[in-house]
Amino acid sequence: MTTPSLLERLVPPEPLRGGNRSSSDSNARARAWLETNGLPNARDEAWKYTPLGDILSATFDAASEPTPGSIDVATLDALAGDHGGTRLVFINGLFAPALSRDRQITPELVCHNTTPSSTDPVGVIDPPSPPVADRTRYDGFQALNQLASHDGAVILVEADTRVTEPIHVVYLSVPGHTPVVSHPRTLLHASANSEVTLIETYAGIAGPALTNAVTTIVVEPGAAVTHYKIQAEGAGAVHLAHTSIRQAAGSKVRSCSFALGADIARNAVDVVLGGNGANVELEGLYLPIATQRHDSVITVEHAASKCMSRQRFKGVIDDHARGSFSGRIIVQPGTTATDAAQTNRSLLLKPTAEADTRPWLEIFADDVKCTHGATVGRLDSEALFYLRTRGIAERDARTMLIGAFIDEMTEAISQPTLRSQLDAAIATKRSSGTPKNDALGADAADNGPAISPLGAST
Amino acid sequence: MLSIRNLSATVDATRILNGVDLQINAGEVHAIMGPNGAGKSTLGQVLAGRDGYTVTDDVTYDGADLLVLTPEARAAAGLFLAFQYPVEIPGVGNMYFLRTAVNAVRLARGLPEYGAVDFLALAKEHMARLDMDPSLLSRSVNAGFSGGEKKRNEILQMSMLEPRLAILDETDSGLDIDALRVVAEGVQALRSPDRAILIITHYPRLLGYVVPDQVHVLSGGRIVRSGNSGLALELEAEGYGPTFAGQSGGATSPSIPLDAVPTP
Repeated sequence: MTTPSLLERLVPPEPLRGGNRSSSDSNARARAWLETNGLPNARDEAWKYTPLGDILSATFDAASEPTPGSIDVATLDALAGDHGGTRLVFINGLFAPALSRDRQITPELVCHNTTPSSTDPVGVIDPPSPPVADRTRYDGFQALNQLASHDGAVILVEADTRVTEPIHVVYLSVPGHTPVVSHPRTLLHASANSEVTLIETYAGIAGPALTNAVTTIVVEPGAAVTHYKIQAEGAGAVHLAHTSIRQAAGSKVRSCSFALGADIARNAVDVVLGGNGANVELEGLYLPIATQRHDSVITVEHAASKCMSRQRFKGVIDDHARGSFSGRIIVQPGTTATDAAQTNRSLLLKPTAEADTRPWLEIFADDVKCTHGATVGRLDSEALFYLRTRGIAERDARTMLIGAFIDEMTEAISQPTLRSQLDAAIATKRSSGTPKNDALGADAADNGPAISPLGAST
Repeated sequence: MLSIRNLSATVDATRILNGVDLQINAGEVHAIMGPNGAGKSTLGQVLAGRDGYTVTDDVTYDGADLLVLTPEARAAAGLFLAFQYPVEIPGVGNMYFLRTAVNAVRLARGLPEYGAVDFLALAKEHMARLDMDPSLLSRSVNAGFSGGEKKRNEILQMSMLEPRLAILDETDSGLDIDALRVVAEGVQALRSPDRAILIITHYPRLLGYVVPDQVHVLSGGRIVRSGNSGLALELEAEGYGPTFAGQSGGATSPSIPLDAVPTP
């Protein structure tokens, strides 16, 4: 397969994109990138753990244009929760105004859908010029998102504004007879000394769906952003997400991701600490069961001095599932007083479950405090025995210990409605035990990951 | 109540218990003493249902085979082991743990479960008797507890689970005089005609508070000597060494003087 046909097949024809968008330069760049590099392949280190073959087939199975879908409010609330504030809802990549709610629109805060016809309000809709040469930090799926995206959320917070209620952006996949695809784009621009919480929820009805999301968070000096990303896509879904966070001096970001759903999910987060004294905390929890695959691919670049970064990722992996964590820390030359730390703890609940963990440190400066640690273990048999000798049944004792491992992550959620929603979703998922498609799981595990010829052709 | 006949236990090809015979009747308190490495803790762990041991021959509890039961079924049947080293479980609240355990055992015994409010009141009452800080309820199970707090937490669990056979594995180790008295009172309070207690200890001190009906010496994986409570004092004076040297690898440990008792 040649790359022009790749573009023809994956990218909708130009008119859909609307007229005079300021992003045409970016589109040209993305098109050139995709033509040159194609989609990721088996040789791309950053895709090492992700079953690319399945993702690529899902990509090519899906229609290249958005398929309208509908859903009622009760189902929406059940799938995505309601956190009280502004809620922007998208179904199959298309804005759903009837399900959305503007509660906080003031001159200081703009939240809206970016349609092909809308003009880019401040010229920040496009992410910073991608480091095109670096395939580990920019890939064909981001380029594809740039070219094929339709609607998306734009959130602009003016300087010195404190937004009290969280802004909730919901992307739903509602598959019909044919696979659905969406390329959602989310932009949060937090101006100097502003404060805002963004909750992104990706959810859906079971069925074949591909979500290829790009989120850009630009944090100006002194601003504070809290970001939650909930991945609760339906069974049968493939979820790819790339979050870019660009931080200026003295800014603070806390970004937490929770992976519950989808058959295959890859969550990439790329942070650049570009101003002195910037501070980022990245947390992640992934809970794959059956044959689910949950991958976290994290990059934190210390490009300025006196910055602090924390990565704390935990996985609970059951059945034949796999979970992986790749945590990259880059400390650029000329920076000083860098403080970076990374931990990854995985709990394997069955001998057939698999955890992969990979620290990747590139330190080009001397004044650096950098720690990393990874553990992969099973439930503590001493603790399990102790609980059982007190009369607690084995199953309940296991639930208690798994809950303790998970709670450490959910306890850190400062948004009460989100925490209770997540606790409930996790409890439901965990109590469902081994899912019905376990037999299917055994088959898939025996076959091993398939790499499509397309993946290796570029 | 508990009848152990020719019990052997092996772990990783090492035989730790080698033909233990022990009969404990309801209402009795027995003490097991013996040098380090004699298999005392293994006996407690095997009785509580620890896996990883290859166990042979029979142990009956109330006339039924104990060794086929899961640890939780043994607890429901009234067996309790106070651990020598209580396990720290970060993230599991002590209160939640206690209530789950007590209600699980009550449910299995056909008793009504406690609601949260009633249970809290009951727990605080028990804790007051054990001179325990109520704030320990809101901490994770044993996590960051001092040695004495851990041992008191064991006795708290024991008193709330109301066992019929309590096995105390070196519960007196690491306690100061005041803590020892409180723990001893907790054990003594459990003593009743329908209950039995097995105390595993190095020191006769606890046995001064909870006077046993019988004292056994475990050495080399077997009970080598039994007697009345006077045996504990005799051992205190003579040590295990002169009588049992050469009978087990652990028997080289001399008697342990009282003033060597570690304090928390």
